[in-house]
Amino acid sequence: MPDILPVNETGEGFTIPYFDQWMAMPVIIRVAVVFIGISTIFILYIQFRIWFTRYKGYLLNKRVEKVVPVIDALIAEEIFMKSETGQKGAPHINFDAFRIPLFANHKNKQILIDRLINYRRSFSGSIGNHFKQLYLELGLDKLSTKKMNRRSWNMKVRGIRELTGMDVSISDVNILPLTNSKRHELRTEARNAYIKLSKNEPFKFFDISSEPLLDWDQIELFKTITTTENIAIPNFARWVTYSNNKSIISFCLKLIVHYNQQDAAPAVIKLLETKDHILRAEAINCLGKLKYEPAEAQLRHIYSNQPLNCQLEILKAIGRMSTGESAQFLRQEFMYSTDFDIRKNAAMSFVRNASPEYIDELMEASNDENKLILKHSMNPLIKY
Amino acid sequence: MNRILVIDDDEIIQNVLEKVLTKEGHHVEIAKNGKEGLQKLDLMPYEIVITDLMMPYANGFEIISKLKQHPNTEKASIIVISSITQEDSVMDSFKLGVDEYIRKPMMVGELLLRVNKLLANRSKYA
Repeated sequence: MPDILPVNETGEGFTIPYFDQWMAMPVIIRVAVVFIGISTIFILYIQFRIWFTRYKGYLLNKRVEKVVPVIDALIAEEIFMKSETGQKGAPHINFDAFRIPLFANHKNKQILIDRLINYRRSFSGSIGNHFKQLYLELGLDKLSTKKMNRRSWNMKVRGIRELTGMDVSISDVNILPLTNSKRHELRTEARNAYIKLSKNEPFKFFDISSEPLLDWDQIELFKTITTTENIAIPNFARWVTYSNNKSIISFCLKLIVHYNQQDAAPAVIKLLETKDHILRAEAINCLGKLKYEPAEAQLRHIYSNQPLNCQLEILKAIGRMSTGESAQFLRQEFMYSTDFDIRKNAAMSFVRNASPEYIDELMEASNDENKLILKHSMNPLIKY
Repeated sequence: MNRILVIDDDEIIQNVLEKVLTKEGHHVEIAKNGKEGLQKLDLMPYEIVITDLMMPYANGFEIISKLKQHPNTEKASIIVISSITQEDSVMDSFKLGVDEYIRKPMMVGELLLRVNKLLANRSKYA
């Protein structure tokens, strides 16, 4: 009979050694012992994970140290030495030189992919194209595509990055669903890739996007859109009118301003009727930055029914339009509003709308504080 | 034989420029960062210095200023290779005395042409 379950002295049933002593301990001590036990197991587990990860990293580094010099030597010999010798016409690159047993190994293939992407990031022109050709010739694009079909999101991201880095197109069927993924990192990567790789309809994912575009995503996307060459820029009014995703509408308003799409202004004006005051303020801001003068009268008309953020945007927009038609309205707001921000923005816009004589007249009629605000607004170094 | 100093922390750029420029018949010295680049200035005079702008220990602008003051490189032609595309950085580089500014990703053929042009100009006006 094992020690764990011995027969007790009377021969009835089984007992666990030290069970009586354990039960005799105060509860607090028992809880503490259990807690210490669990903590110890957890710390040991974490420590083993750290050692394991470090060991894996060490093995990978050793592999990289062995494989990278081979890749660099092959690339130098087959691509750089043949391409830059000053000979006319496209040089013949012997891609078979890369079909060596070393690259039959899956991990070595991955090192080759990473290295090719780094090379392509550093070199453009015909040499850059050779790296893409090599990537395709060796079938490495299939490995990257396979990664996109894996379950883990970070493998999918890796696959997308590799294909984007090599400028290899990805079918809509594969990438469009990922642009609306619940996983933020995957969604961002897929959206950026879609814009970079889809030459005809790079903004198609706006149609299906139900997940929000966070502020940081918008910055990233904006950078991708404005730095990708030969991108087909659509009229963003389409999404301002039809999208149900507020963050997409907000982003489109910024793009309308960036590309100065005056044609989109009627769609933006319709947005003034939305119940969401944040979106409404963004639409007003967009109209101001477009300097869309036909909207000025409507902005003045709706002013009194708006919350503070929209009122401030209306004052700024009128200032940007600088038609001179709203000088009287701005004077009223400056003189009689009780809110400092309203008075400040009204003054800023007033000096851009009123004649010098009118400004002098208002200056005369103002108290000390208002004079200070007006002088501040007239300073050309103050950015508006 | 023209002496060229390449200062770049990117191992790929170091390897490629060393091979390509050596093949063109130049003597190439490689520095892996700004600090090493400044140390290499004392070794010999250089005709051309190719440098990145963003590097550990000393950034490209500091290096360019020091190149212009060092007796071994005060008359050297300077080529900047950088992924920085902001107008300010490009303008600042030229104000510091840079002769050429090449944006990454770069074309190796273009770099060689610019190196050869600068060397030709140097021999023309020497």
